[in-house]
Amino acid sequence: MQYELRQQVVEPKRQAYQYLIDRFGDRPASRYEEGTVDVQATENFHYRPTWDPDHELYDHGYSVLRLTDPYSFLDPRQLYYAPYVTSRAAHYDAFARTLAYLNERSLLERLPAGWRTVLTTLVLPLRHYESGAQLLSCDGARFAYGTSVEQCCTFAAFDRIGNAQLLSTVGLALGDGADTELANAKRAWLEEPALQGLRRYVEELLVQRDWGVSLVALELLDGLLYPVVYRHLDEVALLTGAGAWSLVAQHFSGWYKEQQQWLKALEKAWRADPEQGEANAAALAAIRDAWLPKATAAVAALAAAVDAALPDAGAATFADGLTTEVFA
Amino acid sequence: MTTAVRLCGVDLQETESTRAIVEAIEADNPEITVRHVPGLVKIQSVNPVVIKRESVEARLGRPWETHEFQMAIVSYAGHIAEWDDDEIVIKWEH
Repeated sequence: MQYELRQQVVEPKRQAYQYLIDRFGDRPASRYEEGTVDVQATENFHYRPTWDPDHELYDHGYSVLRLTDPYSFLDPRQLYYAPYVTSRAAHYDAFARTLAYLNERSLLERLPAGWRTVLTTLVLPLRHYESGAQLLSCDGARFAYGTSVEQCCTFAAFDRIGNAQLLSTVGLALGDGADTELANAKRAWLEEPALQGLRRYVEELLVQRDWGVSLVALELLDGLLYPVVYRHLDEVALLTGAGAWSLVAQHFSGWYKEQQQWLKALEKAWRADPEQGEANAAALAAIRDAWLPKATAAVAALAAAVDAALPDAGAATFADGLTTEVFA
Repeated sequence: MTTAVRLCGVDLQETESTRAIVEAIEADNPEITVRHVPGLVKIQSVNPVVIKRESVEARLGRPWETHEFQMAIVSYAGHIAEWDDDEIVIKWEH
């Protein structure tokens, strides 16, 4: 006697939601696609904003950079709420462990001469830079067109305020738990000549209305600032006995690599757009021409000040040889 | 005289997280047959089955290490001929 076991497959009536089937065909969709594609409303906006009657609530016209189909860009990291929160919780745990280690071994107090000056007057004030970057990302989160871009901007905004907080915790540790170093850093952000280029850059971006220009111009500056502060100074720190900064910087350079992933994909989508591609390329070139010289000058000023405090750092030379990877 | 064809293959759990792996295998191994049975994806092939880290990562959107493949395997047929950081190869070795 032999039994043959057979199973019966019941085909589901549909593999995904209709709006995804319309776009991708009847195949199982990922959580990311379900929560992203075609989610933003595109029609039946009854009233125009009273503060901007020329635009709909969600409108292509808020930027010169446009996508014919906003979902031709999808986040390569495929982040939606749950994986975003999980990955950032892990990121913060790792940072907290680093900080606990620094405190336990008093590594921040034992930094070589010059490093404390660099950290307190030049690096710590960058928490205000991050805060400005957060506002600019919020602008994209509200005015971009299409959930895929808006979502990336929203996450970037939270990341930026997170970066500012991480820098603040370093400041508190440098001040032995008191907020004196944070107050000094605020004053340095407002008064230190080497930082005024950065402050001016961010503040000028804050008062112009095009979210796309802000996003691109900010990345042009990030693309120079992050390598200098979190990559080059990291290397210098290792060679000159300031291991504490290297331990801190790794978290920022790691985050920045991830940030660039979606910006690279967005740039590719902007340039490859069948209808808007050429206009986008022209707009990107115009933004680069207008903002990159200012970004270069701002970072050069910062690098020169770093070299003044740490004569062997070679930050200015490093900054001079840098080229931006994204939107260049 | 006919030579028996020995199929090698692997059975994976059918979940949200293994879907990217199955898609990567389908893309890298054009001659495989993929059968979906409840809760399970059965992959069979005459040729070696190759699972590449890069292809999985591209679909998953995050770094993926080959040892994570173990979380998806229910069963397999053949030998695991190669299991390094970049790819896994399943085939009959003799």
